[in-house]
Amino acid sequence: MGKYTLLQKTGLYLAMTVFMTFILLPFLEMFMASLRPLEHLFRSPYQFWSNDMSFQAYFDIWNTVPMLARYIFNSVFLASVTTALCLSFVIPAAYAYARFHFKGKSVTLGLFLAVNMFAGAVLLIPLYKLLRSMGLLNTYAAMFVPGAAFLVPTGIWLLKSYLEKIPIELEESAWIDGASRIYILRKVVIPLAVPGLIVVGVATFIGAYAQQFLFAITFNQKREFMPLPAGIFEFVGYQSVIWNQLMAASIVGIIPVLLIFLFLQRYLVEGLTKGALKG
Amino acid sequence: MATVSLKSIIKKFDETQVLYDINLDIVDKEFIVFVGPSGCGKTTLLRIIAGLEEATNGEIEIDGVNVSSAHPIERGISMVFQSYALYPHLNVFENIAFPLRVAKLPKLEIEKLVMRAAETLQLTDRLKFKPGQLSGGQRQRVAIGRSIVRNPKVFLFDEPLSNLDAALRGEMRVELAKLRKSLDATMIYVTHDQVEAMTMADRIVVLSEGKVEQFGTPMELYHRPKTKFVAGFIGHPKMNFLKVPSLSANSKGISVELPEIGEQLLPVETSAKEISGDLEIGIRPEDLKLSKTAKGLPMKVEVMERLGSSTLVYGSVSLNHKFCALLKGDALVGEGETIKLVASPSSFHVFDSNGDAMRRREVPEVIN
Repeated sequence: MGKYTLLQKTGLYLAMTVFMTFILLPFLEMFMASLRPLEHLFRSPYQFWSNDMSFQAYFDIWNTVPMLARYIFNSVFLASVTTALCLSFVIPAAYAYARFHFKGKSVTLGLFLAVNMFAGAVLLIPLYKLLRSMGLLNTYAAMFVPGAAFLVPTGIWLLKSYLEKIPIELEESAWIDGASRIYILRKVVIPLAVPGLIVVGVATFIGAYAQQFLFAITFNQKREFMPLPAGIFEFVGYQSVIWNQLMAASIVGIIPVLLIFLFLQRYLVEGLTKGALKG
Repeated sequence: MATVSLKSIIKKFDETQVLYDINLDIVDKEFIVFVGPSGCGKTTLLRIIAGLEEATNGEIEIDGVNVSSAHPIERGISMVFQSYALYPHLNVFENIAFPLRVAKLPKLEIEKLVMRAAETLQLTDRLKFKPGQLSGGQRQRVAIGRSIVRNPKVFLFDEPLSNLDAALRGEMRVELAKLRKSLDATMIYVTHDQVEAMTMADRIVVLSEGKVEQFGTPMELYHRPKTKFVAGFIGHPKMNFLKVPSLSANSKGISVELPEIGEQLLPVETSAKEISGDLEIGIRPEDLKLSKTAKGLPMKVEVMERLGSSTLVYGSVSLNHKFCALLKGDALVGEGETIKLVASPSSFHVFDSNGDAMRRREVPEVIN
């Protein structure tokens, strides 16, 4: 194709390098820190590589924080339940917004955007009171219910625009053949929206994974329900912080999510670009 | 048995009115074509019959039963969409079986019916394919298969051939005609292509700006167009129009002044009071011939298309009236020349100032 001149190409790669450096360098340092013995961390001058590096921290973490595996499980579990709950609201809602005309449609859509502008932190106190009166404090639900609620609006916006690209004739044709709305949604719309659903699902999962820390430390006191970002605080002691193990635990905690992403990446790119071309 | 009656159908989208008082009676097993330029309301009318849109006013009867607010399935109709509307995630078998699955028919029966439809449409070796792997013509056949499989009383087609290339379109036209014979059902077909309308219809409904201009057999429309619009729309190449002064009228017809020919009596039915002022006459390109004498409509040839069997000549007559003549394949004319054209008086159409045609006295017997 040769769309770009050499100068443009150089510029592109330069920009990418700067961007990737900012994103990836912390991960590299995180990994290096996890390999160093604790005393090495404060050695001066800074040494990127030394001979006393080892994977010892990866073995020690399980003893230092015995419930670490549980925390990792909680994290993935909470994010998964949040995603599932969120999608169960997003799919019918996005379909309704994509296909039906009703009063207040654009107003409510605007409100959804407005809701997104409030950081969750602003609403913590009212949410706390709400969850307490519902008796949900210190349960898994205390984390995934508000979690899902905050992610529904974005999900609706994302999925709505995807569903709008599905040709309406497909639904009209099914309607003429006698299919009910639910049947059409199940047999025609959802199968065709799979790439879009994956995009929304992944976006929701990331959102759920990222926001659980805030909800976990405010709405939950029980250690066995804690997700990883909160559980990792146990590496922070009164006297010292076991940095190398903390980093190791963080990396171990990311691995399950990373695997999911590697697996879904193909669909993700497909989903983001599909509909751009007439099929 | 399936008659379709439309009674005073009116459709408004908010403030815009798209259909004005449509009344049609469609006979059982008739092949009806709705034809008109884009935006004339033909697709909207079809969607109202299908039950995809609700008429603002008026009634639809199928087999004498008022179905104006019935669900499509209760109307006993099926529809083939312009875009085919095939489900891309299902294979050909499942696409055709879709209406039967909705109806929850037993598995064996579904298989039997789908196989029969596939055989009719020569799709048996394509049943495992996804729509994306099929050619345009095959997709079209799958869409038809899905509509015939549940044996509806009325078939609706919304410009089904407009996505195909010219050669395939001709082929599918013949196939549709064959299919129609084997199905024995009433068919309503929407198109903007007057060739499709002429070749397939028993009767044609010409629509313009939401109104029925004329409803009749193809030959009726061709030889006795009721309005200038129908005259210009039906027939290819299009009819030529020319404004001429009228001279007198009598029981035999109306006399007009033709450029360089002079007074000419055109045999149409008229009442005497209509003769004042200018009239518009219409003459089809295929009725024009080269004059053997010096007398004839002078046409300056601008563009010529030699098709072998015939020659199409485009140009202008008496300042700026665009004209087209269909002459013999070996006609000796050249671009830039001025040629003289004549036509038999009975082949002229005459329109009054409202665009309404005066009934021609002499038409070929074919229209009966």
